[in-house]
Amino acid sequence: MTGSGVLLRFLLRRERRGLVWWLLGATVLFGYQSAGSQSLYSTPEDLAKLRQTMGGNTAIVAMSGPTELLDTIGGEVVFEIFGYLAIVVALMNMFLVGRNTRSDEETGRAELIRSARVGRHAPLIAALCLAGLADVAVGTLVFAAGVGTGLPVGGSVLVGAAIAALGLVYATLTAALVQVFQSTRGVYGAVALALGVSYMLRAAGDVGGGALSWASPIGWGQRTFPYSDNRWWPLLLSIAATVITLLAALALLDRRDFGAGLLPARPGRATAGWSLGSPYGLAWRLQRGALAGWTAGAFLLAAAYGSFVDSVQDFATDNPEIADYLGGSANVVDSFLALTLAIMALLAAAFGITGVVRMRAEETSGRAEPVLATPTSRGAWLASHLLVALGGSALMMAVAGFGEGLAYAFSVSDPAQIPRLTAVALVHVPAIWLLVGLAALGLGWLPRFTAPIAWTAFGYCAVIAVFAGSTDLPEWAQSLSPFTHIPEVPLETFSATPLLTIGIVATVLLIGGYVGLRRRDLGY
Amino acid sequence: MTPVISVAGLVKSFGRTRALDGLDLEVEPGEVHGFLGPNGSGKSTTIRILLGLLRADAGDVRMLGGDPWNDAVELHGRLAYVPGDVTLWPGISGGEVIDLMGRLHGGLDRRRRAELLERFDLDPRKKARTYSKGNRQKVALVAALASDAELLLLDEPTSGLDPLMEAAFRDCVEEMRRNGRTILLSSHILAEVEALCDRVSIIRLGRTVESGTLSELRHLTRTSIAVETERPISGIEEWPGVNDLVLNGTQARFDVDTAHLDTAVRHLSELGVRSLTSTPPTLEELFLRHYGQAPDPEAGEAA
Repeated sequence: MTGSGVLLRFLLRRERRGLVWWLLGATVLFGYQSAGSQSLYSTPEDLAKLRQTMGGNTAIVAMSGPTELLDTIGGEVVFEIFGYLAIVVALMNMFLVGRNTRSDEETGRAELIRSARVGRHAPLIAALCLAGLADVAVGTLVFAAGVGTGLPVGGSVLVGAAIAALGLVYATLTAALVQVFQSTRGVYGAVALALGVSYMLRAAGDVGGGALSWASPIGWGQRTFPYSDNRWWPLLLSIAATVITLLAALALLDRRDFGAGLLPARPGRATAGWSLGSPYGLAWRLQRGALAGWTAGAFLLAAAYGSFVDSVQDFATDNPEIADYLGGSANVVDSFLALTLAIMALLAAAFGITGVVRMRAEETSGRAEPVLATPTSRGAWLASHLLVALGGSALMMAVAGFGEGLAYAFSVSDPAQIPRLTAVALVHVPAIWLLVGLAALGLGWLPRFTAPIAWTAFGYCAVIAVFAGSTDLPEWAQSLSPFTHIPEVPLETFSATPLLTIGIVATVLLIGGYVGLRRRDLGY
Repeated sequence: MTPVISVAGLVKSFGRTRALDGLDLEVEPGEVHGFLGPNGSGKSTTIRILLGLLRADAGDVRMLGGDPWNDAVELHGRLAYVPGDVTLWPGISGGEVIDLMGRLHGGLDRRRRAELLERFDLDPRKKARTYSKGNRQKVALVAALASDAELLLLDEPTSGLDPLMEAAFRDCVEEMRRNGRTILLSSHILAEVEALCDRVSIIRLGRTVESGTLSELRHLTRTSIAVETERPISGIEEWPGVNDLVLNGTQARFDVDTAHLDTAVRHLSELGVRSLTSTPPTLEELFLRHYGQAPDPEAGEAA
């Protein structure tokens, strides 16, 4: 434990920038939901009607939480947002712990630290303390957001405590898995899997009798029933799980070597397979794992949206005033489809951007240098990575459209929805490529700012996409996002002209990036 | 013969730092050329310009009869490169990296690959994440040495290797030399350069300060003499080019400028030499002379 204090101060310094965004994100998520719900369902009658429609809808319950929450408006807020908040906080804890333990060991940075007067447990304890502080901060901020938007104090304290306790469970779970896997990617994969399983267990439990929810940390949090029953005892389960996984992590840490995991690393191939023989093969090899993960995630999310469509229709029929708010009951399904596919398009764009940002990492790490010292031209190197980024993001859209279509087709017994929604999803591709092109332009001309440029543009488009309908942003500000020029099919009719224009702009940006990359120094 | 590498007046700045400030370098076909200089003197920058990764600000650069910036792809087909700091993709095994680099070069000799893996005692199945610095270096070395490139650019290739592997590396370089390959070997390990190189260029602060064969360079410095004579030695301090004299009757130890070695030996033989040891200057002395710790800086200026 020696040295934990010093390390914690160092970690706080190291993480302070990123942490602000996580905390802000969680606060805004809860505060926005609270304000939105309270204005939408302002009377007890609204709430009673909501309880009937939402509580009776299996899909909504599976996506959100137990119906017991719907007794009060505060509970309704928790019902809608707790699942998402749980994902954000769990991921924050995963990154905080994983990055400051396993990935430091993997890169060798931790070796330097451990050689100093620092105990074996110190780096892990410091990382967990950091996560603990972050969880306390999240809990406090969620409490403040609840009280600040007019929710009762007692329930707000409980929901803050529940989300902090959930964070601790995932922090110590990550700490235990860090001891098992040798690579950071392995750790993140296992934690993400555990998170997915928790979400599904609680979905199955909330739809069924509720028993399975008790096997999920998200379920423990939701079943404190803040603002309605206000019961604290389910948090004992979170605390018990935290203590057990913490002890397991420390015990496992004593049983492994530095840099090693309890699971031995599998040896690789002695010779390269046929595909790893060109820059294209290399780019594919480097990005295929990420592409598979992103595509699988897109498929599942889109399928979830797709299974939801039918309920949206019912919901709109039962709640004409909400249907009006969403653009009229006749259009409500189409506008839901358009909105969800726009969200999928943002995800696909994020994947494409990571592909370009990865090139910059290849360059600065020195891994691009030996490749470019072979008869591989800069153009071929750029093209190889862009091909995966552009092709991969288009593939993601096709799979998302297919998944949403498939689930929708099942629920309404109409197989024609599958090709229809696949085609509709692909309409977004030019705008996605434009963002990838912008990232490539940054790589060519302002390489140091590749990531900031690309992610700022992405963030702007995301904000425009989410808030376009609900705020009065000026026309020109909205039109800066390429996604606003994409015809909102199936809500609007399809027209090819804007797609062609966006496609041409994307091409110009990509070529511009190539020209810049050709003429600049590499590696600086 | 046209030189394989010919660099004249090369200048490269990064922002306000001038990394190369009029560097000259000539590498003849078939020679092993030592490229010497302390850390940060511009060796890697020069090699990156030769690879067309960086663009020269000024100066003439020719390599294998082409322009490194404009003809990069064609030239890269004829050379192999080992970076000074080898970073690999964590999830890809060493064997896969070697094959990938070979294929990017247009094929590699499988028999030679197996032989090199044996010689460098490298396990090709391990993922790059688990390799030590030395093993990563070996991966890059095997990939470069297994190619049939006519020019090898090696940037401090032995910095992570143990002495055994360093010996294996020297054997490989000897073989390459016998096969008529040209090698530019950047290093600050003087023993290695002394053992391997035909000619040497010493650079400092981005500028070439000395270039030539080792014997040419030695000529510019001093030889250490330890001698015992029949008759007592006297007047030795009057002889030209003698320094650091320790005299003890018939025994003497002193350094003499290599240019005046002949005169000193003739004087000594008149006194009847019983025993004589002469030690030629090491590269280390040569090197230090250019980096401020010279025994006598004036000697350098005069030369």
